[in-house]
Order: sequence, then C-alpha cells, then structure tokens
Amino acid sequence: MRRVYLDHSATTPVDPRVVEAMLPYLTGKFGNASSVHLFGQEARAAADGARRQVAALIGARANEIIFTSGGTEANNLAIRGVCELAEPRHIITSSIEHPSVRGTLESLEKRGWVVTRLPVYDDGIIRLEDVRSALRSDTVLISVMMANNEIGTIQPIKEIGALVKEERQRGRRHLWFHTDAVQAAGRIAIEVEHLGCDLLTLSAHKIYAPKGSGALFLRRGVRLTPQQVGGHQERERRAGTESIANIVAFGTAAELAQREMPARNEHTRRLRDRFENAVKASIDDLAFNGDHKRRLPHLSNISFRFIEGEGLLIHLDMQGVAVSTGSACSSGTLEPSPVIRALGRDEELARGAIRFSFGKDNTDEDIDYVLEVLPRAVESLRALSPLSRQTIAAS
Amino acid sequence: MSYSEAFKDHIANPRNAGELVNANAVAEQTNPVCGDRVRLSLRIRDGRIEAARFLAYGCPPTLACGSALAEMLEGMTIADALKLERKEIVTAVGGLPSRKQHAAALAIETLRAAIQNSVN
Repeated sequence: MRRVYLDHSATTPVDPRVVEAMLPYLTGKFGNASSVHLFGQEARAAADGARRQVAALIGARANEIIFTSGGTEANNLAIRGVCELAEPRHIITSSIEHPSVRGTLESLEKRGWVVTRLPVYDDGIIRLEDVRSALRSDTVLISVMMANNEIGTIQPIKEIGALVKEERQRGRRHLWFHTDAVQAAGRIAIEVEHLGCDLLTLSAHKIYAPKGSGALFLRRGVRLTPQQVGGHQERERRAGTESIANIVAFGTAAELAQREMPARNEHTRRLRDRFENAVKASIDDLAFNGDHKRRLPHLSNISFRFIEGEGLLIHLDMQGVAVSTGSACSSGTLEPSPVIRALGRDEELARGAIRFSFGKDNTDEDIDYVLEVLPRAVESLRALSPLSRQTIAAS
Repeated sequence: MSYSEAFKDHIANPRNAGELVNANAVAEQTNPVCGDRVRLSLRIRDGRIEAARFLAYGCPPTLACGSALAEMLEGMTIADALKLERKEIVTAVGGLPSRKQHAAALAIETLRAAIQNSVN
C-alpha cells in the first residue's frame, strides 16, 4: 500500500543531512558542553555554531537564543518567565492559540491573572484594533501566535509589534510581546527586529529536525524568571545539560530551512493549490477554513459536511494517507476544534474539519493518490450519514 | 487511540448500511451531549427481524457500533433483540475504551426505540 504523509504541521521527517550533522555528537563527540576538557569544548563549539544558525533564521543575535526541549517548554518559559516577575495583572492573547500557550495562560488565570482572548472572525485572523482596545494600563504581556497550527492563518504580528513600540514611546515600560512562531518558522521569512517582538518560540521538529529541541528568542535586555533552575546553562535561563546532538540538528535544519525556504514554499504551495482545486471540483458540500491568502503555503483545512473528521481520518489512514483533525470526542463529550469554532462555523462543520499539511518531500504522485482515495472515503461516509441526502436506500 | 482489526473492518466495510424502504420499525436517536446520531430501520415479521439497516453520524465508534448492531440483528427474534446489551456490541467491534462506550449505548438505545416504535 502506498503511504502518503500529509501531516507536516504535526511533525516532519528528519532530513538525512540533519541526521548526518548530528550523528558525530551521539558517538565520538559526546562531551558535556559545561566540561572544561577537549570533549566539552567540542560540544560547546557545536552548540555555539547551532545557536548562530538558529539565530540567523529569525534575524536575531546568537546570545538571544535559549535552547529548550521544544516549543511547549519555550512557550511556558516565555509566558511564565515574563509574568512571574510581576504581581498578577493583565494578558492579551488570541482565541486560537496552541494548547501550550492556552494551557499556560489558564494556569496563570488560576493565580489571579486576567486574560483577554481576542476573536478571529471568519477569516481566522485577529484585528489590530481589537488588540489596541484590549490594552489596559496593567497589561504586561501580549502573546499572539504568528501562524495558526490548524488553519495556517497568519496573524498581524508586525502591526502588533509596532503598536507595542508606540506604547513604549508613550512611556509605557512594562509591556512585552511574545509570538509562538512554531508553525511559521521555515515557512515565512522572520526578522525579529522588523516584527518588534520581545520573545519568539521555535520548534525543531517542524523543520525536519528531531523532536526534543526548541528555542526561545529573548530580546537582549528583556528579563525573565527561569523555569528550570539548578545549572548555569543557557546563561542561567534554562538549567540542564544541553542535548548537543539535538541542538546541532536544530541548527542544521534552521540553516537548510532558511536557504531552501523559497523552493520549499513554492513546491508545497503548488501541491496544496492543485490539491484544493481538484477537491473543489470532485467533492460537494465543503468549506475551506481560514483566509485563503493570509495563510501558510503548505496547509489546507477543509470541512466536509455531513461527516465527522475522525471517521474520515481513519478511512484515509487505512489507505495509507496520514492527515489530522482538531476535533476530539471522549466520554460522550464532544470537543469540536476550538479553532474552527472560533471562525463561527457550526458544530457539524467544526466536527468535519480535516487538516492536510504538505511537506518538501511530497510529490505529485502523492497528491494523485490522495485525490483518488479522498472522494471515495467522503462518499462512503456520507452514504452512512443520516444527515446526508446521499444515503443508500435498500429494500 | 488504536483501533482493533474488527473495528477497522466495520469502518471500511459497514454491514447493512442504508435505509429500508419497507421498514416497519424505525428510530433515530441522538446523543444530546456530543450530537452523535444512529438511525435504525427494521423489517419485523412474526416476532423476528427479517432485515436491519443502519445510518450513523459521529465518531468512528458510533459508526462501528451501528454496523455491528445492524449485522447481528438480522434473523434475531424481538425477544432476543431486547436482551441485547451494550457489552455485546462492544465485543462485536473488538472492544472500546471506557470513554468510547457511549457509542455502544447509543446503538442499544436506538434498537430499543425502534422496537418500541414498531407497527404491526
């Protein structure tokens, strides 16, 4: 059976060039970067090189990069780290953040923080005016993702950065701006100076490096409370022996992503657009979720009416095609994707949403195969659905 | 969650899917919490289920349980059908985690409603 992976927003395969770069640090060059001897120095030099590579991907300075175990840890470190310097005050965020941001903010709410969650409207994008009017005199943090993980919509980060700068020029001193760029990095050109953000989250495994590595950009001069203590690593901001092989892999992947971004984007956009046009022509009763233009080039989120996403996911999986759905049903309680619901979609469309995310190694033959199995899978589920008019009559 | 082979087979090849045009016992039940739906149409003659068809909307366990139920009902007496319990449906689909058991409960509920709605 052919296998087609269309879930690159969940994770990506590790690029063989990345594997090659990291392998020596699992074997001969295994030193602890804190050690003084040659083994340690080798590890330290490798981490420094990777730090420069990751910094270059976002236009930062190397000493503004804190390596973490991944995006979730970086989001926790950013939000808790900044907020724990102050008494509970006010935070602004969007209603479609990744669970790692959502969950961190919920835990702060339990400790007295007030969180304003901005709506995204039917295009899946927040409005700058809403950010401006949500600002309070005690707002300490704005945390808005750069691009959404389910629908790929790109948020007005540069505009928020300019607003924060404006506020500072007016004399406001304690307002920080964080953006989770886990989905955006390697797919949108990022220049932290240009964006005006103070903190920015990255993850390695979304850009063809292994899981277990991420980073937080922390603008020079911005203070934060470390969340892991008991070691001098990462300039006292993240204790724990560095995973050098993973860090080297992240650095190599970042450099490749930067260099190959235009070609990768052109390739995935072409496959995605071809896929969407063919789906539109062959399947009725669809809704494309999120703004058509202001979205990541590799992602397509489609709601199929009359059917439920997980059923379609299993059908496709049984035919070798891997996709994902944001809805979950457990203990008889339905949790339709909060992101799709935030677009104003009804519950049925929210339940029928599927994310197809394309990668640099997908081929036209992959798309041909998916276009062959997808309409059949949709049709067979609709034939079963009491909500559909296409049900089978039997005598 | 990972599903059993029996489960996947019900999803890939649903048994007795559709709607009987000459049914004399029909019910459609909805789980008010999650919105999952099962529709069952039966043709009953002389106290026995001659034919059974199902339709389902919702999470995969709901589809699989509808299929398993419709398959086991054909040829069954009404008395035996009324004795069917949730666990028999769960067994027929190769087991379900506890948080998905409600799918089998919905199937049984729909069966009982259909029998109650039957016209002689």
